[in-house]
Amino acid sequence: MPPVASRFRDPSTIFFQNDSVRRCIIASYWIIIVLAIPLWWKTTSIERLGLPTSQVYAEAEKKLRIPLSICLDEIFIDEVAKVMTGFQDTAEYLDVKVTAGWECNQSNSSSDYTVAWEDKLEIQDRTLYHPLSGSLTNTLKSLLAPQIDPRAAQYAPRYRLSFTLLNEDGSAGQVVNGWDIQEAIQRHVSPITSALSMLHNFTIESQVQFHAPLAFEPQSLSEGAYGLTPEDLTVFVNSAEWTLSSSSSNDPVLHFVLFVPSAERRPLRILNEDGTPSTSSAFLIPQWGGIVILNLPSPSSSQDESPSPSERVRLTADDLRQSFGAFSRQMTTLLGVPKLPPAISVSSSSPSSSSSFSTPFTHWQIDTLLRLRTHENIRRSQDTLRSTVKVVDEIEGMPVGEEVQNQVRGSLGALKHVLEILSDDGNTQLTATPNTPTSQYLSSLLAYSARALTLSSKAFFNPGMLAMLYFPAEHKYAVYTPLFASAMIPLVVAAMREVKAWMKERKEKRAALGGGGGEVRDGPPEQRED
Amino acid sequence: MLWTAILLSSLTFVLGQTEEFQEKLSIKSLRDGRVASSFSFSILLRDASPRDPRFLAFDDDDSHHYTLFPLTLGQILRQYAVTELHLTLNAGKWNYDAWGYPDESGVGVGAELRAWMAEGGPSSIDDRWRGLRNALAGLFCASLGSLDEQRTTSPALSFPPDGYLPDWGLPHELRHASYASEHVCTENLTPFLKLLPCKSLSGLATLLNPHRLFDADWHGIGLHVLWHPEGVEVRLNVQLVSDPIRISSSRKQDWSFKTLFDRKVQKPCPVAKSSLVVVNLPSSGIYRVDPEPSFIKDGKAYYDLTNSPGSWNIKTVWPGDFEYPFSDSTPLVPFSVRRKLLSSAQDTGKLSIVVTNNQEEQLDLLYLETMPWIIQFYLHTARVYSDENLISNISYTLPVPHARPGTFESVLTLPGRSTLTFAMDVQKAFLRYTEHPPDAQRGWDLPPAVFTPLAHNGSTKQMRQFYTPSLLVDLATPDFSMPYNVIMFTCSVVAFIFGSVFNVLTRKFVIVRLEANGQK
Repeated sequence: MPPVASRFRDPSTIFFQNDSVRRCIIASYWIIIVLAIPLWWKTTSIERLGLPTSQVYAEAEKKLRIPLSICLDEIFIDEVAKVMTGFQDTAEYLDVKVTAGWECNQSNSSSDYTVAWEDKLEIQDRTLYHPLSGSLTNTLKSLLAPQIDPRAAQYAPRYRLSFTLLNEDGSAGQVVNGWDIQEAIQRHVSPITSALSMLHNFTIESQVQFHAPLAFEPQSLSEGAYGLTPEDLTVFVNSAEWTLSSSSSNDPVLHFVLFVPSAERRPLRILNEDGTPSTSSAFLIPQWGGIVILNLPSPSSSQDESPSPSERVRLTADDLRQSFGAFSRQMTTLLGVPKLPPAISVSSSSPSSSSSFSTPFTHWQIDTLLRLRTHENIRRSQDTLRSTVKVVDEIEGMPVGEEVQNQVRGSLGALKHVLEILSDDGNTQLTATPNTPTSQYLSSLLAYSARALTLSSKAFFNPGMLAMLYFPAEHKYAVYTPLFASAMIPLVVAAMREVKAWMKERKEKRAALGGGGGEVRDGPPEQRED
Repeated sequence: MLWTAILLSSLTFVLGQTEEFQEKLSIKSLRDGRVASSFSFSILLRDASPRDPRFLAFDDDDSHHYTLFPLTLGQILRQYAVTELHLTLNAGKWNYDAWGYPDESGVGVGAELRAWMAEGGPSSIDDRWRGLRNALAGLFCASLGSLDEQRTTSPALSFPPDGYLPDWGLPHELRHASYASEHVCTENLTPFLKLLPCKSLSGLATLLNPHRLFDADWHGIGLHVLWHPEGVEVRLNVQLVSDPIRISSSRKQDWSFKTLFDRKVQKPCPVAKSSLVVVNLPSSGIYRVDPEPSFIKDGKAYYDLTNSPGSWNIKTVWPGDFEYPFSDSTPLVPFSVRRKLLSSAQDTGKLSIVVTNNQEEQLDLLYLETMPWIIQFYLHTARVYSDENLISNISYTLPVPHARPGTFESVLTLPGRSTLTFAMDVQKAFLRYTEHPPDAQRGWDLPPAVFTPLAHNGSTKQMRQFYTPSLLVDLATPDFSMPYNVIMFTCSVVAFIFGSVFNVLTRKFVIVRLEANGQK
């Protein structure tokens, strides 16, 4: 034995064979790992900024109540309660206040609308003249709280109006190679766009196409006419062949198509359900646009055998009057302008119409449209915000950047602003003179609601929210396991072994203290490593 | 005075409505028996002018009202305030020596886009250039989105504006990008045809049969927008070089609309102001042109199809079989170019250009090389193998890796009947893993070089660009299954080293005393 001892140093005298040093080494590894975990977590996690979830849910629950005050003539004093209940049932978003007679002037805010007694049913400015006969409640309801037309396009701050003249086949005898579009727009479209300038901006564009074949064969009728069945109308727009819209902006487009059937297929009529030709030559595609079929008189030259070059026709503004009249009616519908009840006549002596050209709509219609659109926007932005928050909650891998956060906050702020304006309305309206304040008040409501809507949909469609869905957690683990699993095993084993040794040591020490036993150090080695 | 002003403005208003559409097809039999057809559709928007970029600040653009001019294109031009635009999508190699100059000079392979825009206004030229690229990519279903900053150059001399630049007191700048890998196909032709007033349903555009167009030996489509004092002109053109000998069963070079396009012109386009077919008559030999042309002038037969209905099937017939002219191989262009990338290494190479002047006079050539940063020039190695100093006016924009291409522009002077060799060492970049295209082993297409002959007064105006074929460069390509293997391998090594070091550090050594009998 002595030669062995002289050849090898006793390993327990090497400094790192000291128990405490070894434990320090193991502990330092673990400390580094523990300290590195937050860093690793930070660098590999997806950026998910907090969204004001509870605020969104709270705001989405809130009901919009747009104040509306009506002053009735003394003669209608019995109708007050009836009108109030009538509105409560149909239009929840309106906060209708009806007063009558002397009460009108007593309340400190001027009323939005007045109802006076007259033998005829007429509106002038914001005053309604109503006879004693007939239901005042129904008239007011149809004026102020009509149902939203489902054919109307959804609200957008800017629309493109695209007018297209389509020659079905320009090479078949007659071709319309021009139209006085600017004058026709000036006459028929500009009054509408300027009357609605409070709600929307418009970009107007027009084009002419000389070949626009239909995707189907129209039905041949007797006496040489052709017919479009109601089923044909649903597939009338041939998107593959007609280049109607362009993709140069994201604004929604309302299409107005003037369709000139080929000379060989004239006249082209729209058929009723029972197969008889309809008197109308126009039809509307909900939320898309309108189409008018223009049957030109047959080419003036007699139908001789030899093919002759196409006769060129230019449509003057007078030729276009009927078609553009139809377009303007379709546009009114598509933009959601409520119709006046048929019995009501509009007084021409309205002071507001003293401007250069009379507006095609009454204050009642514009105000109602502003309220309807505000209501629609608030509801849509509430829905969108709620869906955004819900989607973010449900999908854990979805990143939420600062942009989304700001958009959600901005939208929420605009929503709150609308509701704030509404809650302290009585004060803001105080000093206002009649006429202007109602529209200004309503258009500021609409502006904030449109802002809320735009921001909420921007947040919902933010492209950044899709990024991480394509890098699933499985990939991450597939890359990490080869390194981490094999490195962690010796660490864990060493730690466990050391803990075990330490516990055993402590137990023996306690036993030695109790029994005064021998030395632990000289005992046989506790563990052997191969 | 006021009345005159109103009258004048109303007059221009009326004139401003006039739009003109003209179509023309010229057909030429080539020396090697092929037939080159060139369609040109031109739409003039009279008295219109490009949009001043300063007006982009005003959100409300004046309304767009077009009759013949394509609305979708008009919107793009106005939205990005583009003064001049040229887009070409070509496939194949134009053989200048045998085919001569093309009718439309833009025959570089792949996609090429260049635009002149004025600086000023709320959005910068580069923003508008990006928007324009993406809008045209959407309009033509072409991968013009690839013409990004890494391919965009602004050569100073080679591409002067074809039209005029409006005098707004703003500097105009050129943006040019080409992408040789883009392949033109039916999905590009369909939207192209929709820009035409008569689409492909009447007029000369009836002949544009995609089956025949894309079967041709060389084919390309082009869009050119330019402004001159008369108005804004849009020219859409299609060129193709078909091989009637390949199509026909006999060895004859006869061609007709029917054999070339498998269609005839059945209906005239009702809105075309003029509709013209021009057949370049062969200079020698016996042949017959059918039907009788409207008139013949300068060795060209003209057919006026304007508003003349009836089935048109213009043809040229030769009595005998076609004989390939082996003897006559003199090039048809004043100079010929060969461009090569020489090397077997994956990191370096040599770009070599051989230019031959085919005529007696001295020739000045503007030489432009727009190279993606994957190829970088060692300019100090540039050598011209000739006695005289024949290269001058060198301008070089350094490439920035991963960001900007290099642009090399210079003037080469060739004495009559001489050949000039220009060579330069290049370095091939080592790409990042994610920068490789999906078909990485195929290599990278390099854009064609452009030569522009200079007139004696040094101007490039009205000079036609000459495009060399593109080059293919093979860059060092990794084995794409490698990264995962590397991760695995590295992880194993790291885990092994870590485990051993850790074990050594924490192992407890003891001396094992062996029994005495064990030592016997």
